[in-house]
Amino acid sequence: MKNKIKVFRAMHDMTQEDLAQAIGVTRQTILAIEKGKYVPSLDLAFRIARHFAVNIEEVFTYEDEPPAAGGRG
Amino acid sequence: MKKNTFYLMCGCIALFLLAIFWYSVEIHNPLFIEIAFLLGIALAYLARKKVTDLVEDERSAKITEQAVLRTFQVFWVVFCAFSIGAVMQILYIPQSPKVFFTQPPPALLSPRMMGYFQLALLCLMIFLYVGFRIYYARKYGDWETDEE
Repeated sequence: MKNKIKVFRAMHDMTQEDLAQAIGVTRQTILAIEKGKYVPSLDLAFRIARHFAVNIEEVFTYEDEPPAAGGRG
Repeated sequence: MKKNTFYLMCGCIALFLLAIFWYSVEIHNPLFIEIAFLLGIALAYLARKKVTDLVEDERSAKITEQAVLRTFQVFWVVFCAFSIGAVMQILYIPQSPKVFFTQPPPALLSPRMMGYFQLALLCLMIFLYVGFRIYYARKYGDWETDEE
């Protein structure tokens, strides 16, 4: 799952802390989502998209990943 | 209540429980520490609800959830392995009346050793939880740094 949160933040001149406070999560969560370490729930994804007043597909893009060679993690 | 006040309060509860534990050992009455432990945990939970500056979001909830799940996945195997042995001792059926009268069922663990084993299990559970929590916190980007 890729996202353009950083781009939208820059467009709206927001810091991670600003966005985190606006949608009620921690700055670390925004950072983890931006870096692809954490995939947000649908609810949070919609809240982020709604905050930037765009559709969810504009912020988040689903990409098929090649199957990992070691099972689940 | 501020987050740091809550942590300070938890420290005080822990110290208080330690003192009661010592007292219970001295007077050979475990009832004091058992009741105090329940009250201490209830007090900590109530205090936690009053904390205003502790932000918990879905990521931190997921880290906790995964750590708890994995801890129990390992813990129940160890616990069952021990419990099966204890159940076997309960279900011990003597081979013949002669054996029944001359040979008592083999004791798996003495009561003292049972206490040590429970302590070891408790420590195992705490270490497992902390270990898994660190693992999942790292996995979900708790220690990521950014240019901001």
